[in-house]
Amino acid sequence: MKRTIQDAVYVNPRPERAGDGERSPGTMDADDERGHALITFESVTKRYPGGTVAVDDLNLEIPDGQTMVLVGPSGCGKTTTLRMINRLIDPSEGRILLDGRDVAQTEASQLRRGIGYVIQQSGLFPHRTIEDNIATVPLLNGWPKARARNRARELMDLVGLDPAMTRRYPYQLSGGQQQRVGVARALAADPPVLLMDEPFSAVDPIVRASLQDELIRLQAELHKTVVLVTHDVEEAIKVGDQVAVFYPHGKIAQIDRPEHLLGSPVDDYVENFLGFDRGIRRLGFFPASGLDLETETVLSEDATIEKARQAAKRAGESWVLVTDEHRLPRGWAALSELETRDGQETLRHLTQAPYGHTFRVGQDSLRAALDATILSPTGLAVGVDDQGRAVGITSYERLRAAIQAAEETADGQGARPS
Amino acid sequence: MSWAWDNRALLAHYLVQHLYLALLPVLFGTIVAVPVGIMCVRYRWTWPPILSLTSIFYALPSIALFVVLIDYTGLTDWTVIIPLTLFSLSVLIPNVVDGLRSVPPPVRQAADAMGFGSLRRVIRVELPLAVPVIIAGLRVATVSSISLVSVGQLIGIGGLGYFFIDGVQRDFPTEIYTALILILILALLADTLLVLLRRWLTPWEAGRRVRPGSRILTATWRGSSAGDAV
Repeated sequence: MKRTIQDAVYVNPRPERAGDGERSPGTMDADDERGHALITFESVTKRYPGGTVAVDDLNLEIPDGQTMVLVGPSGCGKTTTLRMINRLIDPSEGRILLDGRDVAQTEASQLRRGIGYVIQQSGLFPHRTIEDNIATVPLLNGWPKARARNRARELMDLVGLDPAMTRRYPYQLSGGQQQRVGVARALAADPPVLLMDEPFSAVDPIVRASLQDELIRLQAELHKTVVLVTHDVEEAIKVGDQVAVFYPHGKIAQIDRPEHLLGSPVDDYVENFLGFDRGIRRLGFFPASGLDLETETVLSEDATIEKARQAAKRAGESWVLVTDEHRLPRGWAALSELETRDGQETLRHLTQAPYGHTFRVGQDSLRAALDATILSPTGLAVGVDDQGRAVGITSYERLRAAIQAAEETADGQGARPS
Repeated sequence: MSWAWDNRALLAHYLVQHLYLALLPVLFGTIVAVPVGIMCVRYRWTWPPILSLTSIFYALPSIALFVVLIDYTGLTDWTVIIPLTLFSLSVLIPNVVDGLRSVPPPVRQAADAMGFGSLRRVIRVELPLAVPVIIAGLRVATVSSISLVSVGQLIGIGGLGYFFIDGVQRDFPTEIYTALILILILALLADTLLVLLRRWLTPWEAGRRVRPGSRILTATWRGSSAGDAV
């Protein structure tokens, strides 16, 4: 029956970034520091006894306050790279600088208490309550128990955990909740750096998507330097400010912003790795607000058929959108039908085709608009505002113009050097 | 029944001795087994020789040990306590090792990544998680020890075992049955207390069944066969 705005297929998880690929201005006091590398790999090689080279002469700069995703097939060295940052693994050659200081110079357990770490299976301590799990690092740092537990409760609130879980044990929580606890635990001592090793791969796809959204929300609030390892390229593109794609044997193929990665992969390997519909996925980074929407053919059901006929002809459209008095969409009326009817009747009594999926003009991406257009029986899709009221109509032609304009803007900015 | 009542002072005396002879070895065994187990997990190369050693302890006939030890410790309680301690070790060390190894790798890894030092990790994370497996071993060791003490009567130090020899010599079965029942009650009581101890120490296990590790089964099997052998 009637579709609500929640039915819109693609909800861009990060609409504020969709515009120019940057975070919304004004929210970051660290703005000037962007680009300053917090973690630097200098010619790092990890060779295992027996000659296996896990990481091969890696040079990598991870900018402060951004999410860097390391993605690649298993065995490509991405996890090894991550674990060298907090010295769970020591490099064979080269060095890793954290805020200008060689990590090898800090005692390992001391270093690790200053770096948040989230692992795949959550790795919660089964014998500790949720609050004590979260309070782990503050307690290790010698905080009094009461203060550490207060901090734990703050973090539960931050990651969206019900306070009723405070005294429960990990086995009493679902996988998704456990993973939230894992994130809260990693953030407890407010470390500037957060390492995440395949953090969402052990949960089902729906929970995974909500955890990814949660990470994006948290990151918009906290601006940690996040290094996340995944084998899931969709995840990389969704959560990463920067994505580093690894070749199978410990070398990086390309480091880029996700939209540039999708737009211009450096070679066949990266292109294959990204998957076949990268062009369409890239549209997820362009906002639907760039569309020039047709507004003239949006008519109230109280309007006369004569008026609708004229509007359709002026606009050169073969359908008009009929709305109720609040501009909520009701359905499509065909021009062919309008022409057979008495011009003085109102649109209310016409047979209408269902209006299909809508997209939110202010929040969704061109990808959502395109999807709604493809799914629509008329080849036209309705752009709505936050209340679901019709703003205007898009067509394939209008989409093509908007995509072209977005591409030109993106090219104007210039692809970032890797 | 009237015999038991008339001799309650004597029974109580031997009961106390029995308990003391049975439990001290388990206590000593635990004190030694925990650090040795930790060492075996931490320095893997130490585990195969120690495993062989525990098997030898396990196989050693107590009677032979009594005879050897008598030259050094004489007719004292130590002559019984030392062999029983070795027996406890043969059960407890493998259990401590298995308990520590049963800690899921992600948990150990998370502990490292959180910045636990390696000793702190063992004490605060691995040992608490090993408690269910260690207590399973303790139950076997304790029950076996309570049953094995009687053998000490061969050199005159055997707790309630006194009544077995005495009953046979005097051809008076009541005495034997009474002591036997007391030993069984002691064993059941000790076992129950250990189960309660485990529940108290591991509230996080409350909602789920303790996973039966292969070694617990092995230990149970070894323990019961030892009991039978006596």
